[in-house]
Amino acid sequence: MAAARTTEERIRDYLGSKLPAARDLTLSDFVQTAGGWSHEIYIFYANWKEDGRERREGFCLRKDPGSGLLRELSSLKEQFAVIKALEKTAAPTPKAYWYEEDPSLLGGPFFVMEKVEGEVPNPWSRAGKQFYAEAAKRGKLPRSFVEALASLHNLDWRAAGLDFIGVPGPGKDFALREIEKWEILIRQSISKPEPVLTEVLMWLKANAPQAQRLAFVHGAYRSGNLIIRDDAIAAIIDWELQVIGDPMYDVAYVLSDLNREGSPLLSCVVDRDFFLDYYERLTGLKVDLEICRYYEILYMMRSTAFWLSASGLFAEGRNKDLRLARTTYSVPVVLDMAAKALGF
Amino acid sequence: MIPAKQLLNEIVSSLRNVIAPAIAEPFPKAQAYMAAVILEFVSRQVEERSDIAEGKHEALATLFCNLSQLSGSDRLLGGGPASEAELNRLIEQLYAQRAQIGEESFTAANRLVRQTLRQLLDQDLKVAGKAGV
Repeated sequence: MAAARTTEERIRDYLGSKLPAARDLTLSDFVQTAGGWSHEIYIFYANWKEDGRERREGFCLRKDPGSGLLRELSSLKEQFAVIKALEKTAAPTPKAYWYEEDPSLLGGPFFVMEKVEGEVPNPWSRAGKQFYAEAAKRGKLPRSFVEALASLHNLDWRAAGLDFIGVPGPGKDFALREIEKWEILIRQSISKPEPVLTEVLMWLKANAPQAQRLAFVHGAYRSGNLIIRDDAIAAIIDWELQVIGDPMYDVAYVLSDLNREGSPLLSCVVDRDFFLDYYERLTGLKVDLEICRYYEILYMMRSTAFWLSASGLFAEGRNKDLRLARTTYSVPVVLDMAAKALGF
Repeated sequence: MIPAKQLLNEIVSSLRNVIAPAIAEPFPKAQAYMAAVILEFVSRQVEERSDIAEGKHEALATLFCNLSQLSGSDRLLGGGPASEAELNRLIEQLYAQRAQIGEESFTAANRLVRQTLRQLLDQDLKVAGKAGV
């Protein structure tokens, strides 16, 4: 009986089918990254001969494991289409190559994109914090951090064809839609009543702000979701939570304490005053700190939804990753943050 | 929160089926298997903390008693037992009927609810908080 082909072999065969002129195709430096709670992520180089010349290119493959953190909210097809649409814009993103739905290929939907050279230091690690702190002193990376965010908020999302991800109505519609989206995940994940979360949700609905203008919003813009090369943002990654919405939603995420654990710098890399001033100059927007405070509480609700989903997947036996089990203890901690932000 | 016994059993399974088989060196491999065996015994020793459930029950009972003394509370109280599910329902009612009950009554009831929510959170943080109590 023939031995089952490994994931690496199946990916190599798939790539061969997409590169029909390639001869002697091999993969090297093949790794499945430890990060990524929603998808399996494989990074590798393909080496082949074509027209008598040696070729070598880096690829990144994201695959739906069928039991990812965001459940039905995460669509690889949409991610692929977003990255493809962004290729034509000034936003630094990888090139998107192929999307496949056929489960017979790798066991679930996946897409392949360019491997952008650079590094993604983990901002939660001591080494990562040190990397960002030293880069902050040199000054180039903080500027690039703000410029890349502004490139998203300034882009003409209709012209880029990004309206397919959904366009909220005027006024409070963006915030209300966002709350509704996470409430769906909460309802899918929850196994017992969470009255603190109910109070947070009701407060959020009762106090939804008006969007200043609609922009293309990343939804999780922070160090750790950015590939860095030569002290500049080479690519924005982790395209799972993007929306057309209030740009203050991204600004609030940058301002949030959730993303800097112990660092005086926003997202461990940029001084707060510099960020606010430079962002306003690049976008022409006025940062409304009160609205940002509202979105920070919305992020706490969103984090609670993540952790309920993660621990729920584990408790249901759908995903055996112990990292998901650990999040059962994160739920009260993030609810505590939200409660304190609301004054109780 | 995921029940402690379920978590322990899953960790045992991970140690036995994922972690230990992947370790090549004999000594750490044996340690991983032994950790699984010991955790199975620990799982039999573990009982869920009863003080947390009791603390929550007391906080909820006090809230529903205090709320019943507020004017207009009949619109909010559903008559069910003092539970987290009933509190969920009450919070939704409170916001839904805010205009009808008036801002003053809303604020008074919401203050009592939030005091209780803080007490419930403090119970959960006995396990999940950084220090643990």
